[in-house]
Amino acid sequence: MGLTVTQIAAGVALAHARMATLEQELNAADSRLGDGDTGGMLRRVLDLMAEQRMDGIDDVGVSLGILAKAAAAATGSSLGTLLATGLLTMSKRTKGRAEIPWSELAPLLEQARDAVMARGGAKLGDKTVVDALDAVSSALAGAGDQAAIRARAVAACDEALVRFRNEPCRMGRARMYADKSIGMDDPGMLAFARLIESICRRGA
Amino acid sequence: MKKLINDPAHYVDEMLDGLCAAHPSLMRDGPAGRVIRRTEGARAGKVGIVTGGGSGHLPLFTGYVGPGLVDACSIGNVFEGPTVDSCMAAIKAADGGRGVLRLYGNYGGDRMNFDMAGEFLEEEGLELSTVLGTDDIASAAPAERSKRRGVAGIVYAYKIAGARADEGASLAEVTAAAAKAVERTRTIGCALSSCQIPGAAEPSFRIAPSEMEMGIGIHGEPGIWRDTLKPADAVADEMVDRLLAERPEGSGNRVSVLVNSLGATPLEELFILYRRIAERLDKAGLAVVQPLVGPYVTSMEMTGVSLSLCFLDDELERLLAAPASCPFWKVG
Repeated sequence: MGLTVTQIAAGVALAHARMATLEQELNAADSRLGDGDTGGMLRRVLDLMAEQRMDGIDDVGVSLGILAKAAAAATGSSLGTLLATGLLTMSKRTKGRAEIPWSELAPLLEQARDAVMARGGAKLGDKTVVDALDAVSSALAGAGDQAAIRARAVAACDEALVRFRNEPCRMGRARMYADKSIGMDDPGMLAFARLIESICRRGA
Repeated sequence: MKKLINDPAHYVDEMLDGLCAAHPSLMRDGPAGRVIRRTEGARAGKVGIVTGGGSGHLPLFTGYVGPGLVDACSIGNVFEGPTVDSCMAAIKAADGGRGVLRLYGNYGGDRMNFDMAGEFLEEEGLELSTVLGTDDIASAAPAERSKRRGVAGIVYAYKIAGARADEGASLAEVTAAAAKAVERTRTIGCALSSCQIPGAAEPSFRIAPSEMEMGIGIHGEPGIWRDTLKPADAVADEMVDRLLAERPEGSGNRVSVLVNSLGATPLEELFILYRRIAERLDKAGLAVVQPLVGPYVTSMEMTGVSLSLCFLDDELERLLAAPASCPFWKVG
């Protein structure tokens, strides 16, 4: 067993449902370091992603490509564009395949991470969504079944948030006032962690 | 915060409809109508100038589409960059056959999407260049000037690049003029109250009624200091001091001044500030050319101001004085 279009669609539905409560939490986190719109932006992105019909599609790459285009059409924000970039990278790597073994998820996420770094310019350790993506891709190495994937991904997000919370931001305007960012979660990292939790059905 | 709007989801599109209805020289185009371009189209044989960014800053960005300024603009949701498809459509709309300058503020989303759009269009043989507005001195140290954000001072780059393009200059020459305008412009802002994104439950940031924040960004990004509200002269003095401390090397004694409202600050207060700023510049031996006072780059209902100084040379002064017109600014 591995990742299929059905599971991708289910994951989008779970992430979309989570935005009902996550939107304002992310806006509040972003207002401490940025312009306070991360939650609203991400809700619009997931609204459009959830509208995409996957009926009759059995190609994982095609389905990820549809989601990437939806993200790119919904917003031009940094985080939304990076999400589109990551999905597009994974789409290209999985075209023509109906199922991706769980063991291939880690390298796929690594490729997405590298593409996001190239597009956005962030480095590992800058306290951005890249660090959360890196934590998850590293944690999934060697995981061969869905239960392990879920458990490791959630744990990796928790650890990344804790590890970076007391670090200064090194990217964006917040890097200028690094002291202010210490003790706060990066909104992009927080968004990624919360959505991974929902997709992995934490607590369900 | 109270807003005269309908559904927040329609905020941008209804605003763009109204803008174009009030100013028939502009029209909507591109995917989802998120490109504003000159109704008469790009002028053949002229270098095109395209800009873009998030909504919530009128007159920036769409308001500067017009003769002698910008040819087309891609516009995103409030405080969000434009999509890659909108950027591509705006670049094409600005293309008069001699290449297109992408001139926009140094923000992540804008940069990523204009870059991606350029990658697609360069494959089609379109000649492109880029200049980023980086005038906000509060957003990075002098040693990292290339990391600074573009704020109100970008209007000088629009004006100067637009005038150079109208003279028939090449893409390289228009790009160089825009880059020089950016290189010689410095801005700092301060805020007295916040703004609120339509549909958001809370203001973008919180600030006490008795406080002000110096160096705040046009989306409410954190500034340099927050303290009790100071008298206008003290605020003007600090802004002038901070900008003059970063006077470009080799600059002469002529400057253009932009005293800009961030949205809610009235003209009366802008002129109170301008009075002091003009005095201070005179004492510093600087002659003011073409002062601009008013709302040129806003943040919805934010109370606050920004001060921009564009340190002129003969070329910049000539280009600044050239005729131009758009819904919010007319020169000559």
